[in-house]
Amino acid sequence: MRFKASIQNITTFTKLTASLNSLGPLAWVKLSDDQVCFTIIPEQGTQVWAALSIDTIFETYTVQSAANNVINLEVPLGPLNRALKSALNATSAQIRLTKKDNMPLLALTIVTTSSSNTYSAFPTGGANDDGFDAPFDDLGGGGNRETIITQEVPVRVLGPDVVSGLHEPQCREPDVHIILPPLMQLKSISDRFTKLALAGARTGAGSSAARTRLDMAANMHGCLKMSIKTDAMSISSVWTDLSNPELDPSQVAGGTIGIAEHPSTRMKLLGSADGRSDQGWASVRIDGRDWGKVMSVGRLGGRVIACFCHEHALILYVYLPTDNGEDESVLTYYVSSYSA
Amino acid sequence: MVVLNFTLTPEAASEIHDLLVCLGKFSDTVAIEARRERFTFTALNSSKSAYAAATLVGKQFFSTYECVPTQGGPDGRFTCSIYTRALLSVFKARLHDPLGRDGAISRCEVSVQENANTCRFIVKMVCNQGVIKTYKLTYEAVDVMHALFDRNMAKNRWSMRAGGLREYVEYFGTRTEMLDIFSGEEGDGRVVFKSFTEKISNGKEVLKHPLVTAVAVNTSDFEEFNVQPGMHIIISVKDFKAIVIHADTLKTSVKAFYSQPTRPLQFSYGSDGLLCEFTLMTSGDYNGPATAPTPAPQIPSRLASRAQSATDSRSMPPPTSPASRRSARRQAAPRKASSPKPQPDPESLFVNQDEEEDSRWEPLDHNEEETLGWDAAADRDAGSFPTFRDSGSFSKVEVATTVGADGMEGIAPSQRVSQVKGLW
Repeated sequence: MRFKASIQNITTFTKLTASLNSLGPLAWVKLSDDQVCFTIIPEQGTQVWAALSIDTIFETYTVQSAANNVINLEVPLGPLNRALKSALNATSAQIRLTKKDNMPLLALTIVTTSSSNTYSAFPTGGANDDGFDAPFDDLGGGGNRETIITQEVPVRVLGPDVVSGLHEPQCREPDVHIILPPLMQLKSISDRFTKLALAGARTGAGSSAARTRLDMAANMHGCLKMSIKTDAMSISSVWTDLSNPELDPSQVAGGTIGIAEHPSTRMKLLGSADGRSDQGWASVRIDGRDWGKVMSVGRLGGRVIACFCHEHALILYVYLPTDNGEDESVLTYYVSSYSA
Repeated sequence: MVVLNFTLTPEAASEIHDLLVCLGKFSDTVAIEARRERFTFTALNSSKSAYAAATLVGKQFFSTYECVPTQGGPDGRFTCSIYTRALLSVFKARLHDPLGRDGAISRCEVSVQENANTCRFIVKMVCNQGVIKTYKLTYEAVDVMHALFDRNMAKNRWSMRAGGLREYVEYFGTRTEMLDIFSGEEGDGRVVFKSFTEKISNGKEVLKHPLVTAVAVNTSDFEEFNVQPGMHIIISVKDFKAIVIHADTLKTSVKAFYSQPTRPLQFSYGSDGLLCEFTLMTSGDYNGPATAPTPAPQIPSRLASRAQSATDSRSMPPPTSPASRRSARRQAAPRKASSPKPQPDPESLFVNQDEEEDSRWEPLDHNEEETLGWDAAADRDAGSFPTFRDSGSFSKVEVATTVGADGMEGIAPSQRVSQVKGLW
């Protein structure tokens, strides 16, 4: 079993692990010839299934194993993220699967040229006469102090039988699909709603979980609505002029006929573009705090399409920006809706 | 009555803040030792594996400095101990602010008021616009102890800019416990700082194991590097971080002195009338080759011994001499206490110590009188005093001295046993 790669895009990899880590501490990482998959299945809350093209984060990538060159690992995201952070200013960073004392681990080897601090050029000896003064040798050779950092992240190797039981959630065709507004905007508003709801919950009765329930709804006329309701208040925000992307006949079961019969086609007939109509909304109820964790993916700066299955689930597709426009990398978030 | 008055510039006051933050990482209380010429803060951690001393030179560090101890003549000293947090709430951050914003001071005046009833450490913060904030802190008169460290024995030395070390520390994972400083094999030209946690875990727990980080540095990045090749020396990451971060605030270089694992290591740095010395216990050869032991004195590698009125660690007698100066009481200690103990457990940073050794470190109890304990168990068969037990008092006294002001939970003894006897 061999895995070795140099990390081509440390920032993306770091942001990715940080975003995933907010949903769960452990990731199932599947390394194969053409893809790197990260899957987070927390006990509660949103699942993430991310499939990245190799060159989104790696280059000179080799993976070999007896099981069709696929390696499945369980990786703690916190330490991995921490390790990657130390590579942010690196000149090069490599990652490989190795063993120490019979324990598998991902070893990151990071080469940095330390930023030289210049203050030592004038040594401040103080009242210190213990026989050696700070020499002046720092004056010349500033830039090429090379430091090699090795970070060892403990991992668990998962056998094919362990992962064979894990399946991506299946969902019916969505009623509404819409491109979300900038996530930072969305997140700050949903965080504010959740906070307000929690502030009320402290004095009132009832569990706080029920109080932080956000209502999210969208229609096929570019409207998104987020609202929260408690005994004391009801607030909502509406976005308009968002876009509902056209479905690609080649991607929908049944082609053109499939599109004609698609739930979203029927939803187009209902509702209005100003968001005032009561009709044509597909809505879900989600937990505000869980949503805050999902929104953490905003740091990756991808385009996000939200698919609403009315009163069932909300699925977010986060498309990572790529250089070549091909081999798109997608993170899929499965947020299930609470029943009323 | 002791006279201790000094004045600090805003810069010096903010340096005291930084220093207290650092010392606070070692201990809840700082001990103060004031002499005619200088002022020293010391801190000793609870496991007594790390000792910190910061000496402020009277004429250099302070704007004005005056100390006249009550006794002892020119070598006299005034000692006390104060809660680090209490001092930090006075020496707040941003005392020095060139723009004169909130919290900035124009100078700081400190004096000590001591009489039969009160022990007060009085700090006057003279702020801008004529505002004067006066703080009165209670202190406890204690004996101050110093760690002994003999630099002549410490043949291994290096020195590096604190900024460089700080960079390395930032790569370390959170929650790691130990730091192995490994000087590479001969001709290697590398030093490895490795932060790790020694914990055996299995199954799912493996993934909770903290990150192991190794930072390999060229010896040429050091200002001085003179260490026996192949040596591993292990200290606590937390201590190292605290030291490096503080040294970096002074923009200075950190010097390290050590002889061999299981014997103390000292970090030293300073600038402008401030000299910091940290004496840390080290532990053994973490999966490294056996190092040729340098001839060590036949005295346990105690991190520190009591050296009453000792002036400065460098002028202190080397670790061999305290044996001859041991008090009669200490000589009564079991002989085995002074046999050399190589540390079998590489995980432990702590000095092997038995009860006797431990109690030597306790602050002197000036109220050594019979105190009355309270037997909560009320075991009626326990002895002639069914509800009172003398022997139970020791631990209570200890709690009272360590918990101090905020430990008002226990019931204080109200009568002497001798007085109680008459009643029964």
